[in-house]
Amino acid sequence: MAGSALRRLMAEYKQLTLNPPEGIIAGPINEENFFEWEALITGPEGTCFEGGIFPAKLIFPPDYPLSPPKMQFICEMFHPNIYADGRVCISILHAPGDDPMGYESSAERWSPVQSVEKILLSVVSMLAEPNDESGANVDAAKMWREDRKQFNKIAEKLVRKTLGLPSP
Amino acid sequence: MKALVATVISLALTTVVIGNAYYQKKQFYPSIVYLTNSNPSMAVMYLQAFILVLLLGKVFRRIFFGQLRPAEFEHLIERSWYAITETCLAFTVFRDDFNPKFIALFTVLLFLKAFHWLAEDRVDYMERSPVIGLLFHLRILTLLTLLTHADFFFIHHAYQFTTSKGPSVQLVFGFEYSILLIMIINIVIKYTLHTIDSRWEAPWESKAAVLLYTELIINFLKVLLYIGFVAVMVRIYTLPLFAFRPMYETMRSFKKAYNDVVLSRRAIRNMNTLYPDATAAELAAADNECIICREEMHSGAKKLPCNHIFHAACLRLWFQRQQTCPTCRLNVLRAPAPDTPHAPDGVQPGNVPLVNVPLGNVPLGNAPLGNAPLGNAPVGNAAAPPPAPNVVPPPFPNMPPPPMMGWGLPPPPPRPASLATLSAAELQRMEGHERRNIEARLQLLREIQAMLDASVLLMQQYSAVVANLPQNSANVATQTDTIVNEPTPGPAPVQVKTEPEIAAGTSSATPSTSAAPPTASPAHTQHTDVSSSDNTSLHVDREPKTETDADAEELRRRRLQRFTTAK
Ligand SMILES: [Zn+2]
Ligand SMILES: [Zn+2]
Repeated sequence: MAGSALRRLMAEYKQLTLNPPEGIIAGPINEENFFEWEALITGPEGTCFEGGIFPAKLIFPPDYPLSPPKMQFICEMFHPNIYADGRVCISILHAPGDDPMGYESSAERWSPVQSVEKILLSVVSMLAEPNDESGANVDAAKMWREDRKQFNKIAEKLVRKTLGLPSP
Repeated sequence: MKALVATVISLALTTVVIGNAYYQKKQFYPSIVYLTNSNPSMAVMYLQAFILVLLLGKVFRRIFFGQLRPAEFEHLIERSWYAITETCLAFTVFRDDFNPKFIALFTVLLFLKAFHWLAEDRVDYMERSPVIGLLFHLRILTLLTLLTHADFFFIHHAYQFTTSKGPSVQLVFGFEYSILLIMIINIVIKYTLHTIDSRWEAPWESKAAVLLYTELIINFLKVLLYIGFVAVMVRIYTLPLFAFRPMYETMRSFKKAYNDVVLSRRAIRNMNTLYPDATAAELAAADNECIICREEMHSGAKKLPCNHIFHAACLRLWFQRQQTCPTCRLNVLRAPAPDTPHAPDGVQPGNVPLVNVPLGNVPLGNAPLGNAPLGNAPVGNAAAPPPAPNVVPPPFPNMPPPPMMGWGLPPPPPRPASLATLSAAELQRMEGHERRNIEARLQLLREIQAMLDASVLLMQQYSAVVANLPQNSANVATQTDTIVNEPTPGPAPVQVKTEPEIAAGTSSATPSTSAAPPTASPAHTQHTDVSSSDNTSLHVDREPKTETDADAEELRRRRLQRFTTAK
C-alpha cells in the first residue's frame, strides 16, 4: 500500500508549505502518519469570526483522493454548517452519491480534482458566508437568520476563546 | 460511573429479593418456586440478568476491541435500537412461545449481533489506520473464530430443533444466525484483502474491483436468504414485519452493488476501447500532470470525450466509484460515444447528430435532399455511421415491387460540398486532415446516393399504390357487399320480446321469397335483423332442417300461441 494516496498527500503537503494560502496553515500532525492532518484557519476579515484562529483536524481515507477526507474543528464552534462535535458539513466534502442535506448539486461535490487547499479555502468562505439551508447546527442557522446580533456575540466569544483571551 | 451505580443497585436488589425468598421458605426449591411465582421478584431477576449481560458485554468488548472509537460506539447504539425494536416485533409473532428461555435466546442473539457489528466496523477501519499491530490481528482473528463457532452452533441447533419438533421460533434464530454467518464471511474476506494490501509494497489496483464483486455476491446471498425466510414465515405464521427493514436495506445495497459493478464495468470498457491514448503534445498541454494522483504522465494516459487527460490506472479506480470526468464531471456513460481513435482532434461529439438529419426525411419521399447534408456535414464525422438507408422498411411490405425499376427520376448526381459554408475553424481542420476529410466526404456522398435511391424506390411504391387505389377500393366494396348478403344461419330472435316481435311473427307467417332483403316498414326499422333472420329461417325451411332450427321454429310457434291467447 503506502501508494498513491500517500504520495499525493506528500505532494499536497509540499505544495502547501511552498505556497501557503493566506490565513491557512496545514500539515500532518505527525510526519509518520500522513493520513491525519491538523489545520489552523484564520477567521476571515470583516466577518464575525475575524481574528480567531480555529484549529481543525483532517482525516484522509486510504483511497484518497478518490474519496474525500473528513474535517472536524477541534475547538468550540457555533456555525450553521458545523455540527456540535465540530464536523464540517460542506458540499466539497461529500461525494455525489451521499447527500446528507439533499440540496447540493453535484458540481461542487468531491472529486479528485479537489485538494486540501481547496477544502480549506471553502471552509474559510463558509465561515464568512454560512449556508443556512444546511441543518448541521439548526440553532446556529436559526440564530444566524433571526438574531444576527446574538450570533455575532457568540462568535466573538469563540474568537476570544481560541486566542486564549478571557471573555469580556 | 452510571454503570457502576446501576450494577450496585441491581446487585443489592437481587440480594434482597433472594434473601427474602430464602428467609420465608428456608429451603432451596421452595424459594425458587416462590421466586418464579412472584412477579416483582422476577422483574428484579430480569433486571439483574440484563445488567449481567451488559457487564459481560463490556468485558468482552474490552478484551476484543479495547477502547471503542466514538464512531464505532455511535454505530453500535444506532444498530442496537433497530435490533431491539425488531426483536419486540418478533415477540408479537411468537407470543405463544413467550418464556424465560425464549427471552434468553433473543438476548444471546442481540449480544452476538453486537459483536458482529463491532468486528465489521473494526475491520473497515483497518484500511485507514496507519499501523496495524500484532494485537489487532490476534484480537480480530480470535473474535472471528469464536463468532463463527457460535453462529454454526446456533444454526445447527435451530436445524435440529426444527427437523425434530417442527417449525417454531427456532426458524427465526436459524435465519438470523445464517445472516450473521454471511456477515462473518464478508468480514473475513475484507480482513484478508486489507491484510494482503498492507503487506504489499506496490499499490494493489484490483483490490477495489475485488471488493466490489464481494459486495455484490454477499448481498445477493443475503437477498436470497431474506426472500426464503419471508416465504417460509408467510406460509407457516404470518408476514414477518420484523424482517422487513433489514430486508429492504439488503435489497437496496444489492441493487447499489449491482449498479456499481455494471456502471464501472461499462465505464472501464469504454475507456479501454473507445477513448484514445493521449499524444505527447496533449500531455505537454496538460503539464504532464495527472490531476488524480498529481504525478507525471508519460504513457498510459487516456483522453476522455471532454478532452481531459488522466492516467488509465487512475481513471479505472475512479470509475469504480463514479462514472464521471473528475475535472468537468461529464458523465462518461451518458456522453455520446466519442469518435474512433483516428478521428480528428477537436470534433465535439455534439456535431454527430447532424449526419442523421436527412434520414428522417427518407420515408416521406423527399427525393431532392442532397443539399442539406452536404452543406452541414461536419468534416470528419465519417466515424459516426448513419444507419444504412436500405434498412428503412418499405411502408407497404406486401406490395409487389414496382414493374419498372428504372422508371421515374434518375438519382441526381452528387454535388461537391461548398467550401463557403464552412467556418474558418472547420477549414483549418480540413487542411490538417485533408485526406481523411476527403475520404469522409466520399463516404458521405455514397451514403447520400444510397438514401436517394431508397427514396426513389419509395416514390415508385407510392405511385404504384396510388395507381392501384380505385380498383382496389372497388374490390373491397364488392367483397363487403357479398359478405353482407350472405345469409347467416342460426336462430337469433329468441331473446327478443318486444312489440316488433309481433310484426316479425306476422312477417314470418306470410311467405316471402328468401333472397330479397326485407322491406323496412316503419314498424320494422328497429328490428330489421329479427325479420331478416326470420327470412333466413324460412329460407332454411326448404332445406333439411337442423335440430336448432327445429327448436327455434318450435319456440316461435309457442310464443305465437301465447300471443294469440293473450289477445
Ligand atoms: Zn494518475
Ligand atoms: Zn472532463
